Amino acid sequence: MPEHDNETKLTDADRLVLSAVMDLIVPAVDELPGAGEMGLAEAAEEFAGKEVKYGVSLGRVMEALSLEPSARAEGGFAALDEEQRVAALQVLEANIPGYFDDFVDLVYIVYYSDERVHKRIGWRSGPLQPLGWEMPAWDPAVLETVSKRKPFWRKV
Amino acid sequence: MTITHPSTDILILGSGASGAAVAWRLSKSDFKVVCLEQGRWIKPEEYPNEHADWEIQARTNWAYDPNVRSLDVDYPINVDESPIDPLMFNAVGGSTIHWTAHTPRFHPSDFRVKTLDGVADDWPITYEDVEPYYDAYDELMGCSGINGDPANPPRKERPMPPLPIGPDGERMARAFDRLGWHWWPSDSYVNSIPYRGRQACNNCGNTGFGCSRGAKGQTDVAIWPEAIANGVELRTDSRVFRIETDADGRTTGASYYDADGEENFQPAKGVVLAMNGIGSPRIMLNSASDAYPDGLCNSSGLLGKNLMFHPYAMVSGLFDDGLKTYKGALANIILCQEFYETDPNKDFVRGYSYQVARSSGPVSTACGYMFGRVPWGADHHSEFGRRFGDVTVLGVIGEDLPEEHNRVELDPELTDSNGIPAPRVYYKLSSNSRKQLDDAIENAETALHEAGAVEVLATQLLKVAGWHLMGTARMGDDPKSSVVNRWGQAHDADNIFVVDGSVFVTSAAVNPTPTIGALALRTAAYIDRERADLKS
Repeated sequence: MPEHDNETKLTDADRLVLSAVMDLIVPAVDELPGAGEMGLAEAAEEFAGKEVKYGVSLGRVMEALSLEPSARAEGGFAALDEEQRVAALQVLEANIPGYFDDFVDLVYIVYYSDERVHKRIGWRSGPLQPLGWEMPAWDPAVLETVSKRKPFWRKV
Repeated sequence: MTITHPSTDILILGSGASGAAVAWRLSKSDFKVVCLEQGRWIKPEEYPNEHADWEIQARTNWAYDPNVRSLDVDYPINVDESPIDPLMFNAVGGSTIHWTAHTPRFHPSDFRVKTLDGVADDWPITYEDVEPYYDAYDELMGCSGINGDPANPPRKERPMPPLPIGPDGERMARAFDRLGWHWWPSDSYVNSIPYRGRQACNNCGNTGFGCSRGAKGQTDVAIWPEAIANGVELRTDSRVFRIETDADGRTTGASYYDADGEENFQPAKGVVLAMNGIGSPRIMLNSASDAYPDGLCNSSGLLGKNLMFHPYAMVSGLFDDGLKTYKGALANIILCQEFYETDPNKDFVRGYSYQVARSSGPVSTACGYMFGRVPWGADHHSEFGRRFGDVTVLGVIGEDLPEEHNRVELDPELTDSNGIPAPRVYYKLSSNSRKQLDDAIENAETALHEAGAVEVLATQLLKVAGWHLMGTARMGDDPKSSVVNRWGQAHDADNIFVVDGSVFVTSAAVNPTPTIGALALRTAAYIDRERADLKS
């Protein structure tokens, strides 16, 4: 069970559960395994430790999961099959929606900050500057229709 | 022990859009000017765009919302009674550091809503009174745009041509053309070409978090260097907590905490408040005295009242043609003002603009800033793939009308890191605003479908959208119904001026900063012209 005030301390067992949960949030695709199997649980834990909102959500989700009846059966969450795991998360999503949404955001933040993911989705990793993006230059011809309109601002 | 500084002529509080303008204008005369800024200079290399984790920083230490950012230089805001969170930034440059620099002007009618539509109040000044100062502020900050807009009066040529509207902007423009609706390239304080030693925008997209190229009109790069070269002293890490007054109610200067938490006093012949529509009333309310038991210059009882935001709705169109809509300035594409004025056939007064905006990076896409949170689980990747780089947004800016019950007060418990009382905001969305937004959402859905959107999603009211803070020290000719006069000078004290969005009588349906800057230049010109008594 995670302790939580402003920092999230997970046990090794929690980390295994978190990793499994992250694999359900963002499953494997193409050549990439799920978010948990990619090893991003540590990054999520680290980020949650720095940002209170995400730390609280991580703590609440892990706590709620540990209390969820299906996950309390012998073997816990790890012993559930995928369908049961998804069902357990759906219960959390319905019962603690705000925390659950923040938790999902936490997973997305670490997942979509990863260069392996950027490569798959065709996103250029790194800072936006100094490269910026190429765009077609301004072309006044686009004004052809609207510029024919007579002035219609309200006179005072 | 209080550290007392040598006296100055004019003391400006705040270095953002309005404070910098006043400093610059007065620096061209022989006023001695000091500006106190609670934040610090930010180096270009500190901006998130220079870092790989820019999307994370945008949600944490660079968040728009000071309650999320929670930096020492920020002050907390109690928003328990507001559906909209006020947004601001505290540094040299103020909120021009993190604005998107979309810069339309008020219309002439915006200054006459009582006469024209029987609501709110007329301003004591006209569009024509402000127009030369609009031009001057455009030149100072650097405006990109083009003449000929049929929805607005003719005006002086902008210093730079428009930013490219891109294939996503053109797609939307063509839809407006087919519908017979107005649109025009956005006016932006973003350089489309190199301007006054600052580089042109290279379309990185993330205009909301400081531009390390200097391509965005932030006052730290566009105004302050010249003002300082002209002799203005800009004192950073200086957090004002009280404006001091004498027995007659005239100001004698301001007290502030420095970076070490030491109490300082800066004497001055005149004080100009430029701390935004929440910050200025906050410090004025905190400056109650025997002369002003209800807050500084508050004989009208209106200080802090009539708070206006622009309630924002967001209507997002999902397309399927892979235009990569994260390329280009975030919120500076085109503006539609087809529904700007009161339509007698509708059940609300005044109107709204559409600000066409782009999407952003992968984290923003997944977390749903533009099109709702991508679902988790089995469908996650297909849904993410549909949305990433394929969303165009119509931001609805509705004209918010002043209502006294919408207000800023001092929180009895919450304080900033120096122990200064924090503001508490009460705001209730009016039924008029709700009807405006509903109408705007319906029309936006029409426009987005016309543009080819395969799916449209409307956010009824954006919470993290209190960019525009207005009305809390309104101007007027009657001291009973306004806090400052037509020059921004307090009715109750002739050496106290307010120049930020607090002085707005109404909010119009456009981003307010060019109007804030123009009014600040106008007040500074008045001081220069009429107030030699404030000069040593």
